[in-house]
Amino acid sequence: MTALTVNGRPVRFDVDPQTPLLWALRDAANLTGTKYGCGVGDCHACTVIVDGEALRSCLVTVAESEGRHVVTIEGLSRDRSHPVQQALVAEQAIQCGFCTPGIAMAAAALLARNPDPGVDEIKAALPNLCRCGVYPRLVRAVQLAARVARREETISAAPAPGISAEDAAREVPAMNPGNKP
Amino acid sequence: MQISRRGLLAGAAVGGGLLVAWSLWPRDYGVPLTPGRGEWAFGAWLKLGRDGVLTVAVPQLEMGQGISTLLPQVVAAEMGADWRQVAVEPAPVSGAYPNLPLAAKWAPLWMPLASGLADRPDDLVARRWAGEKGFMATADGTSLAAYERPAREAAAAARAMLCMAAGQRWGVDYEQCEAQGGLVMHGSKQLAFAALAEEAARFDPPDPPPLRSNPYQETATVGNPSQPVAYPRLDLPAKVDGSFLFGGDVRLPGMLYAAIRHGPAGDTELAGYDIRAGARALGLKQVVKARGWIAAVADTWWAAERALDALAPRWRTEGRADSGTIDRQLEEALTKGEARRILTRGDGDSNLGAPTVTYRYDLAPATHAMIETASATARMADGRLELWLASQAPAQAREAAAKAVGLSPNDVVLYPLAAGGSFDRRLEHDHAIEAAVIAAEVGAPVQLVWSRWQEMIAGRPRAPLACLASAWTAREDGTPQALRLRVAMPATTKEFGARLFGNKTAVAAREVAATGPDPLAFEGAGTPYGIPALAIDHVAVDVGLSSGRFRGNSHGYLAFIVESFMDELAGRVGREPLSFRMALLGHDPRLAECLQRAARLAEWDGGAGQSGQGIACWRIGDPEGEGPVARIACVATARAGEGGVRVGKLSAAVDLGRVVNLGIARQQIEGGLIFGTSLATGSAVTFADGLPAEAGLGALALPRLDDCPEVVVEVMRGDGPPADPGEIGAVVAAPAIANALNSAAGLRLRRLPLLSEGI
Repeated sequence: MTALTVNGRPVRFDVDPQTPLLWALRDAANLTGTKYGCGVGDCHACTVIVDGEALRSCLVTVAESEGRHVVTIEGLSRDRSHPVQQALVAEQAIQCGFCTPGIAMAAAALLARNPDPGVDEIKAALPNLCRCGVYPRLVRAVQLAARVARREETISAAPAPGISAEDAAREVPAMNPGNKP
Repeated sequence: MQISRRGLLAGAAVGGGLLVAWSLWPRDYGVPLTPGRGEWAFGAWLKLGRDGVLTVAVPQLEMGQGISTLLPQVVAAEMGADWRQVAVEPAPVSGAYPNLPLAAKWAPLWMPLASGLADRPDDLVARRWAGEKGFMATADGTSLAAYERPAREAAAAARAMLCMAAGQRWGVDYEQCEAQGGLVMHGSKQLAFAALAEEAARFDPPDPPPLRSNPYQETATVGNPSQPVAYPRLDLPAKVDGSFLFGGDVRLPGMLYAAIRHGPAGDTELAGYDIRAGARALGLKQVVKARGWIAAVADTWWAAERALDALAPRWRTEGRADSGTIDRQLEEALTKGEARRILTRGDGDSNLGAPTVTYRYDLAPATHAMIETASATARMADGRLELWLASQAPAQAREAAAKAVGLSPNDVVLYPLAAGGSFDRRLEHDHAIEAAVIAAEVGAPVQLVWSRWQEMIAGRPRAPLACLASAWTAREDGTPQALRLRVAMPATTKEFGARLFGNKTAVAAREVAATGPDPLAFEGAGTPYGIPALAIDHVAVDVGLSSGRFRGNSHGYLAFIVESFMDELAGRVGREPLSFRMALLGHDPRLAECLQRAARLAEWDGGAGQSGQGIACWRIGDPEGEGPVARIACVATARAGEGGVRVGKLSAAVDLGRVVNLGIARQQIEGGLIFGTSLATGSAVTFADGLPAEAGLGALALPRLDDCPEVVVEVMRGDGPPADPGEIGAVVAAPAIANALNSAAGLRLRRLPLLSEGI
């Protein structure tokens, strides 16, 4: 059993210690937001944050992760409120969405260590492959996220999940059955 | 016999919901939607709940192109709904959602001997076939052409029913009521859709449904590329927090994980494997094998993959795919093969003598390289198979999986999931068959995920080809008066059709690869230009490699050939390539305007003096027909540098007819241009002895953020039916880049990818 911290919770993995962290997360912990695209580090779709650093989880074994703090896309925020998540939606910098979790994690790790990255730093920090071609929007999205993180700007592009019917009815007249003349 | 719509409605109501008669079908396919508690179905497209949630069923595969936003948007605009109340779910496989334009277009594939009977969308034969087969494929940019109208009619019927319910309460004529923002209004009175759902479902909709006078349209504000998005994509919030489910993300109780190996490309048979070494692999539960593959089932996917390493399968392969052989066969077919004429315009090439100029162009097989590998989840229990799958042709995938495990398609439930990219790769369904066979044998739910290597070795790349392009030009100014393309390539569309509709194996389907002609593989060969005489010849040849559909399809290779050749024809006589093209576009002022606008965006300098600028344009669709037409012009800035081609900037002006969602249109054009760039710089797969030389994504020279060109897109204000924005950008980039390289250094590259000639 290998013990580590995943999204703030202590976890013990009962898998072959040589299992890549990617597959322990996906198949043992059911954290399927972290994606498999190649298994050899080419695509960066499996990027997670390990002790503050963006790493490709296909290249790290469970054994090597022992005692470390791992954050996956599911742990980035509880309600899509991380500036990177909001900014990716605001810039519509997502198409099929398969590479998105890896991009979000790489960008979040960048902003955590550098609150005001330049264009070249952003490009260097996001080597993720995206075949739909959202690249032209990524630099803008990360810059927007940085401004939001620095509290220079606010955005609310992606609503929180699980809005109750009552809250929806308050916000949206069409969803208020009591909306009568 | 005329079937009364009222009769249809009465029959459908037995199912529980109320069918909105948005069109007359020769058969009744019922209401495929199952409303939840406090929710009512309004036909095959809509459910409305007393909580006000309006759920739109989308019968097309979401693979990034935004269709799961576009069709709900069409519904919301027509119905007068509030975008915040709109939810989306994938529609089940059903005859209620036939893709009629595609059924008509692909009639030669599903009815190879008598396609003339059904080549118009309103033909009863195509209609009946598409309905009976549940043909709802997502392909060839037909989504809006097929579904905008039915979605509008369903929404209009539902709006009328809501107005009827409100009108009855208020004692007013329903036709005097209006719906807007999710409210039905009359004078100062208003009622929310939420309050009316239950009553409205009891009314019969008017026939025909009262459509609003104009379909919804968005127009770009000139000079403001970041104008606010009126209808933000519905799928993005779930995609940004990891909760959006792809085929490999399904989790079922007791589910096991399967990895798979296919043998070398060719006619491959499993010859043996080391069962004793495999038995020692940790976590291995079972081995499942078929003629051409072997799968390991284990606790985790990685354990299954390691078990396959240990099993070390051995293969017996006839006719191993080999790039040297492919090149030789294309060469021989091109120079000696018997051609079939696909298209003649004017007098073709008769009585013309020797052409003024002939150049040869080549394309290597190109792989889709979507990031999500083939993934499917299957469960077999109580004589029923359940499949969780992303498929561009779900009915055909379901039928093939059913056949593989000896079930009727009616005993197979397919839960449609979205795809992590596709680019037409998910028109194939080998993995659905495999997952079904494995689940049936294991007796537990199984999730099959292909490794990246499997995508490389058992993919269906774009067909390789060789082309001799010849022109007869006017002596005074070099204007082409006749053009001939002689193309050697597999009959790739027929081969694909044999797999999709004939349920043939890849090897069996290749039997038609050498039987031309394949007109569907030459769509767009007429070129956008007013060249008086045209002759298009196809030499069909089986090159020993299975090929498949690919983003842009025929337009991808034809645009590269024609637009490279046009540049060369201009260059031979020292003419400026933009005005050279304009002179041949007098009959298509919209495309001419695209060229001018792209030139302005890019500050076009004529491509002279080693500027590194190149231009190309293209058109998808027939301006003479009634269908949608997409037009684009693109100026590329590129140089051959260290490590390959560096594309600095792509500026494109595009005319898509009426635009439904400007934000999505821009996304698609931008993304298409970058996808096209990847075809110019890489994406090729080469085979030696049945094995790909490129082991994975890292070997394909795909663009990343740091070498992505700057992209500037102008979406022009257009009219006419809305054209698909997904393919037109992807086909224009490669020739623009090739022309830019020629301008930069006089380097004319006539082979795709451009790198393959070695710079």
